[in-house]
Amino acid sequence: MNTYPLLDIEHLTETTFRLRVDRPDIPIRSGQCFNLGIPGFGVNREYSMYSAEDSSYLDFLIRSVDGGLTSTGLQKAQPGDLIEIDGAYGKFCLDDPLNKSNNYLFIATGTGIAPFHSFVETWPSINYKILHGVRTPEERYHMQEYTKDSYIPCISRPKDGTSGKRVTDYLTEYSIPEGTKVYVCGNRNMIIDVFDLLHKKEVFGDQIKTEVFF
Amino acid sequence: MKIAISYPPIINDLGQKAMVSQNRNVQFFKEPTYLLPVTYAQAATYLKQSGYDVYWDDGNSQLKNFDVWFNDFVKEAPDVVIFESTTPVMKFYWSTINKIKTAMPNCIVIMSGYHSMRRPEETMQQSNADIVLRSSNVDFALHRLIPHIENNNDWRASYLGEGMLIRLDSGKLRSTGDFRQVEPLDQSPLVDRDLVGWKNYAYENGNFLQTPGTYASSVIRDCMFGKCTFCRYNGPDLTFSMMSVQRSLDEYEKLINEHGVKEIFDDSGVWYRGKEAREFAQGIIDRGLNKKGCYFGINTRFEYLDEETIKLMGEANFRFILLGYEAADNETLMRLNKGYQLQHVDDCLKWLTKYGMHPHLTIMVGYYWQTQEQLDNTVSEVKRLMISGLARTLQVTLCTPLDYTPYHEECISNGVLLTQDYNDFDMSKLIVKTPIPHDQYYKAVREMYSVAFNPRFILRQLVFLLNFRKKDWQFLFTYGIRAIRRVRQHIFNLTRHETKEKSKTIEVTNV
Repeated sequence: MNTYPLLDIEHLTETTFRLRVDRPDIPIRSGQCFNLGIPGFGVNREYSMYSAEDSSYLDFLIRSVDGGLTSTGLQKAQPGDLIEIDGAYGKFCLDDPLNKSNNYLFIATGTGIAPFHSFVETWPSINYKILHGVRTPEERYHMQEYTKDSYIPCISRPKDGTSGKRVTDYLTEYSIPEGTKVYVCGNRNMIIDVFDLLHKKEVFGDQIKTEVFF
Repeated sequence: MKIAISYPPIINDLGQKAMVSQNRNVQFFKEPTYLLPVTYAQAATYLKQSGYDVYWDDGNSQLKNFDVWFNDFVKEAPDVVIFESTTPVMKFYWSTINKIKTAMPNCIVIMSGYHSMRRPEETMQQSNADIVLRSSNVDFALHRLIPHIENNNDWRASYLGEGMLIRLDSGKLRSTGDFRQVEPLDQSPLVDRDLVGWKNYAYENGNFLQTPGTYASSVIRDCMFGKCTFCRYNGPDLTFSMMSVQRSLDEYEKLINEHGVKEIFDDSGVWYRGKEAREFAQGIIDRGLNKKGCYFGINTRFEYLDEETIKLMGEANFRFILLGYEAADNETLMRLNKGYQLQHVDDCLKWLTKYGMHPHLTIMVGYYWQTQEQLDNTVSEVKRLMISGLARTLQVTLCTPLDYTPYHEECISNGVLLTQDYNDFDMSKLIVKTPIPHDQYYKAVREMYSVAFNPRFILRQLVFLLNFRKKDWQFLFTYGIRAIRRVRQHIFNLTRHETKEKSKTIEVTNV
C-alpha cells in the first residue's frame, strides 16, 4: 500500500491548506501531479505538487470542496496520519528550465498556482511572471516566496473598495514579449477565455501548455 | 457545400468487419457491434446547423459492402469528406483516399483521428489527403475550417486555425501549429439523432442490456485523467473539457421521451465524478427519468466513485459500469500510469453490485514486460472477482500498441515491436516481444472468458438477478446468448494465431 505519513498541514484560509507529506522514493518532475486518498475511503483525487522537485517532502496546495470526500477528509488530517499517494503523473513540466533566455508567463486561478510554485521553488532563477486569479487577498498563497514584481495577483473581490479584476482583464492589458512560453493552469472556463486572448495577442498553440483542474 | 463524414466498410479476408470499439479501438468481428462515433456525430450536427448539406456516411452501420459504399459516395459527390484514422486501418484508408482522389479530384479529403494526428506527415506522404487534422475536437475544428474553405479560394495558404497540416497547391505541406485549445464543450451541439440514423446503432451493441439503446453526447471530451500510457486520450495535443450536468440531463430527457430509448451509454473516457456525478444522478431522479424503464451506463475508474455517489446512481437506474482493471499486479498498473491501487478494487465492486449495477471489467494481457507470475495472478484475480459476483461481465484484449500512444512509443524505443506493418495492429495477435511465449497469453484469455461457463458464476448471476430486480429476468436470456456469442468471437480471434505463432514465440523468448 502506497501510504505516507502527513508531516504538516498549514491552513491558509477557511478552505485552502498546504499539505506536507513524506516524499515517495521515485523520480518526480516539477509540475507533475499525484493521486491522493485517505485510507479506507476508496476514492482518490489528483493534485499538482506544490514543492520543489528535489525537496525531501511533497507539498500540495488544496482547496476543500463542499461535499468533496477527499479534499474535506485531507483538510481534517493530522500530522502522523497516513495518506495514500499514487504518482507521479503528467507532463505539465518546463521543457528547458536551465536555458536562461527562456521567458515564462504562468497564468493560474486559485490553487492552480501549485505547479508554478513548484517550478519557481525548483528553479528560482527562471524569468517568469505569474498572473494569479483569486477572489480575495487572502488567497494570494505564499506570495512572498515569488521574486519581487514577478507575482501579479488578480483579485476579483478586493476588500479595499477598488474594483475587482480577473486574470483576463490583466491579460488584455499585459504585453507578452515575443517567444514567451505560456503555461495555464486552473479553472476550465478561465483557460478557454485565456486562449482567446492569447490568440488575439498572436500567441499560438506551439507556445502554450495547459493543465485543467476539475 | 456538401460535407461527408464517412466510415467506409472494412472487411478482412475472414469476412470480418472492422468495428470501432471502446476508446476508438478497431477490432474485426464477424457479428459486429455498431457504435455511434459521438464526436463526429456532433461535428455533423454542428455543420448541418451552420447550413451545410451533411452526408452521414457510415457504411458499416448502413450494412453496405465496399463497392456499394464507394458507388454511393461518388454519386453523392461531396465537396469535402472527413475520415477517422487509427493504426490498424491506415493502409486501407490511404488506398481509399487515393481511389477517391482519382475518381473525384476536386473532393477535399480531410483525415482526422488519433493515428494521423500524431503522424500527420506520414498520411500526407502515403496518400493524397488534402488536410490532416491534429485535434480530436473535430466538431470545433470543422466548424471553423469549412466556412473558411467555402469563402476563400486560397484557403490552403490562408487558413490560420491551429492543429492542421495542409497540402498547398505547390504540393508542399503547411503546418498551422500545434493544437492546444481547451474547447467549450457546451457550445458543441447535442447529436442530431435523425441526421446520423441513430436506430442503425440502437440494437447491435453487446453492451446494451435493453434496446433500443444509444450513446449520449459525451459529457467529457478526451479524459479527465488522461495519463494512462496505453490510451489514446493521453498526449500534449489532448485537453479536457466537460459538458454541464443540466445540458446532459436535457439530452437524456429528450432521448427517453421523444425517441423511446431504453438504454443510454455515455462513452466518455471517464464519466463525471464527485459533485457532478451526484448532481447528474439526482437530476435523473428529480426529473422522474429513473421511472421510465431506461438504463444508464458509463465508463469510470477505480477510486473515482464513492459509496454515496454509487448509491444515488443505483437509485437513478444506472446499470452497466465499465471499469478498466487492466491487470492484477501493481507493477503493471504503475507502468501503465493507471492511477489506482488494487486494494480498492473489491470495495468499489461491492458498492456497485450492492446498489444494483453491473460492473464490466476490461482486462489486457501481453504487456511486453508481463511475466507468467503476473499473468497467472491476473487470471486468478479476475476469476475470483467474477465467480464471487463482484463483477458481472468482462472483456479481455491483447495489449496492442496503437496510434503512437506513450505505450506505443515505449515499445518502439525499447525495440520490442515485432512488426512495422500497420495491418498487424488489429488486436488479433500479440505484436510485441514478451518474456513468455505468446500462447500463454492466449491461453489466459481463454481461461478468463471461460468463467462465463463456470457453474458457480452462472449461479451467482442467477442469484443476483433473482434477489435484486425481478425486471432484469426478462433480459437474462438475451444477454446470456449475446454474451456467449461474444465470448466465442473473442476466443476465435485470439486463438486463430495460436499455432501459427508457436515458432515465432520460441524465437521471441530467446531474444
